[in-house]
Amino acid sequence: MSSLKSFIPSWHIWVLAVVAFLVPFLLSKIFARVHAYVKSGGTFKSASARTSVLSPDSSSAAATPFDGDYAADVRSVMDVIGKNSDLTVREFPLSRFDAKGTLFYVNGMQRERELNMRTLEFFMFEATREMLASPPNVKGLLPFYNLKESADVREFSRLVLFGYAGLIIEGVPCGLLIQSPNTSNRAIVEPLSEALLRGPRIGFTEVLSENTSMLRRQGFSDQLEMKSYIIGNTLPKEVVIAYFKDIVNADLLKEVEARISNINIDFLADSGYIEQLIEDNYLSPFQQLQNTERPDRVINGLLEGRVAILQDGSPFALIAPATFSMLLQSPEDYYERWIPSSFLRILRFFAAFLSLLAPSIYISFISFHPGLIPTELVLSIIETRQGVPFPSLIEVLVLELSIEILREAGIRLPKPIGPAMGIVGGIIVGDAAVQAGIVSPILVIVVAVTAISSFSMPSYSAGITLRLLRFFGMVFAAILGMFGTILFFLLLCSHLSRLKSFGVSYLTPVSPYRLQDWKDLFIRAPISLMKKRPAMMKTRQERRQT
Amino acid sequence: MLKSLRKLTGILCVLLLLSGCWSSTEIEDLALYLGLSLDAGKPAPKEKDLERKGARYPKQDKLLVTIQVVPAVGVASNEDKSLEKSSPFFNISGSGDSILQIFRQFSIRLDRPIIGHHLKVIVISADLLKKQSAEQLTDFLLRDNDIRPSCIVLVSEGEAMDVLVGTPNKEIPAVSLIGMSRNRSRTSKVMRPVTLARLDAMIHSRKSFVLQRLITAGKETLFSGAEIIKGSIGQSIGSLGEDDTMCLTWLRGEGDRGVIKVNDSKGEPLVFEMKSLKSKITPHVEGEEISFDVKITTTGRIIETWSKGDTSTTQEYADEASKIFEEELIRMMTQLIHKLQDTYAADVAGFGDQLAIKYPSVWKKVKDDWDERFSQSKISISYKLSITDFGSFSEKK
Repeated sequence: MSSLKSFIPSWHIWVLAVVAFLVPFLLSKIFARVHAYVKSGGTFKSASARTSVLSPDSSSAAATPFDGDYAADVRSVMDVIGKNSDLTVREFPLSRFDAKGTLFYVNGMQRERELNMRTLEFFMFEATREMLASPPNVKGLLPFYNLKESADVREFSRLVLFGYAGLIIEGVPCGLLIQSPNTSNRAIVEPLSEALLRGPRIGFTEVLSENTSMLRRQGFSDQLEMKSYIIGNTLPKEVVIAYFKDIVNADLLKEVEARISNINIDFLADSGYIEQLIEDNYLSPFQQLQNTERPDRVINGLLEGRVAILQDGSPFALIAPATFSMLLQSPEDYYERWIPSSFLRILRFFAAFLSLLAPSIYISFISFHPGLIPTELVLSIIETRQGVPFPSLIEVLVLELSIEILREAGIRLPKPIGPAMGIVGGIIVGDAAVQAGIVSPILVIVVAVTAISSFSMPSYSAGITLRLLRFFGMVFAAILGMFGTILFFLLLCSHLSRLKSFGVSYLTPVSPYRLQDWKDLFIRAPISLMKKRPAMMKTRQERRQT
Repeated sequence: MLKSLRKLTGILCVLLLLSGCWSSTEIEDLALYLGLSLDAGKPAPKEKDLERKGARYPKQDKLLVTIQVVPAVGVASNEDKSLEKSSPFFNISGSGDSILQIFRQFSIRLDRPIIGHHLKVIVISADLLKKQSAEQLTDFLLRDNDIRPSCIVLVSEGEAMDVLVGTPNKEIPAVSLIGMSRNRSRTSKVMRPVTLARLDAMIHSRKSFVLQRLITAGKETLFSGAEIIKGSIGQSIGSLGEDDTMCLTWLRGEGDRGVIKVNDSKGEPLVFEMKSLKSKITPHVEGEEISFDVKITTTGRIIETWSKGDTSTTQEYADEASKIFEEELIRMMTQLIHKLQDTYAADVAGFGDQLAIKYPSVWKKVKDDWDERFSQSKISISYKLSITDFGSFSEKK
């Protein structure tokens, strides 16, 4: 019995065991609670998918149909929208038969010249009673390409304010919408955030129809399908899901559709809203949808079996699901030959590593492991650090924070000042800080390399993530040295391997391990070798049809 | 719940900050020592004064340890004040019975803790090695986790601490010693450096070995010859000269550089520069008799001659010259073998290793008194020296 007793560990081992159990357990509980809290605040259960507001059957609850009486109809429309100062209302006679009509349009949303010359001329001098006979015939006989009928006053008013030219004609028991909005649009320019040297220079704009047409124009296919959703409670907007129906995984598509239709929000200002509302993990620093301005990137994603989400008013399309490897891939990898592209891609992985961990490694070397630095370097570092009054963490934070502030300021600055500010901030402040003995020159190199590395990320959002995580890494390094840095890296790895984007593991094909997909991971294999679609997407067609 | 959560987070944050930076010391608050020298015990010059004033602890002064600390910036050193301004390093010595005790004693004399991660050179004085075994002297150095096993071990003729003195405003002596040990590409008088790890292996195998010897005169130090450590006692028994050291390196196949200078028929210098050398030791066992055949093949060029008009490039001339060089090589080698076998009776050239590879069973029997057996075994060396070219010169008409 006494020998058995000697095997029972002493009390402090029990305490350690309890702590070792409680810390991760409580942490996971806390995170689960926070996650649930954010989620309950973010999404509600309601809101069924409304397919299109433009179709006549999608009348809202308080529908007020046209009652067929011309004067009453005009009055009821005027009641709804008549107070708008930018609304032009023009009543005109139809001279071929004795009737009156009223044209409604919002200033600046129609080509007024065309409206005057063609439309009014037609109605005033050419239109006959037969042409405007009974509703089934109206569409067929009027010479308008884009003609819609609206039976509901409210809907009619809404569409007029959205930019349609609306028409109410005596004897016709519904509103006619004759011309779709024609507002001034931004020109199609090169994508700002993803400029490439080689490859298509076209970028999405804010107009959804233009964006979808860009996708359509990528090639001839009857399999590219786009589904439209209207989202937004106060100010609804159109959102389009695009996919190849013979490629995309059915479950993935269903999941995306479900999440999109579950969105409940006032107004979508940018596709970033959608991204945040449908992503899997709110607490992860990593983006779980890829955003891009490039149609070629979107179409390539679709061909891999992904789903794209486009939103009216945003030049950024979202690609779901996103995986970690996508953050470090640039479309140019595929446009250049495979050897240089592979080199650049490996370089990018290295740069990502640097931008994440270089300051942490600096701190651990300086404060914990002087033995790991070559002797000559140690001597020069010691000499340069002689006057530095701070521990390495403070030193690094001073410079890292100022360069982050500089970068943030650089975005806001007007273009002519921007570069000058960069020079002032980077060179002068850096040099002055060294001269003043606040930081050591070696650190300036480390911070500069880190900053440059973080710019080499092809995706801006991924760059922000790494910049943010870098600071956590520095704290870990300052507390535990190299051990802490490795711990931080392991924590990051375990988070990433748990993270999922629309059911696809974030780290595929590294974990879960899919050797077949490694052809397009660290290296970019010759295109002729990549005959299959990524296995991780579980597409309907495995092979690319060559 | 939310409130307690907030409290918990606050406590966690505070705890995190409280713990601070565990075991972190900024690099500039440390003193690195790059060189370490061990001398026979006597109080260090500065120490005498201190001891007279009462700075004493019980010790027998078996050992005098000197370390070379860098950088000297901002350090109030006990050493010569005139050196301090310009010199990038300073040396500090202490005597005592244990290296670690002396190191800790340095902590009450210096403002920064010393760390050994960057120790490059250990210099042991030949006198100390004659009194104490290498095993005793390096025991701490091997056990210590800071000190790298890759630092090299040298022996100095005379005071080891003099080696580390160096000249002011010049390179740190420890660093320049490392640089000098890299000159093996130019002369085989510089032996393959013995690192702490190799030294450990050799000490434990109880085989005899050699350590590079340093000679210091004035403030200049050079690599000159080698100190022989007898395996059975682990102490120094004597030394080899420069030529012997070069031949030893060649014999062991660890180097193929160097020059052979002879006087030609007219009495003028004629110099052979070695370009390649292969040495092969083949052991033979016949009954109790152990003998070795050594085959040395070397090529090189005639690089310097003082004879006037002697610019022949014929094969006959090459053969004739190579014969002269060969004779010189034979003389040098014979002298070395004689020293190893008869003067010191220590196999430091790796004959035993070859025997152990070829005849492991024989080796097992003889290894305990190998040095004696080695001194009795017959060694025959065959030479093949060929001259491949003569350098470039303008033909005289």
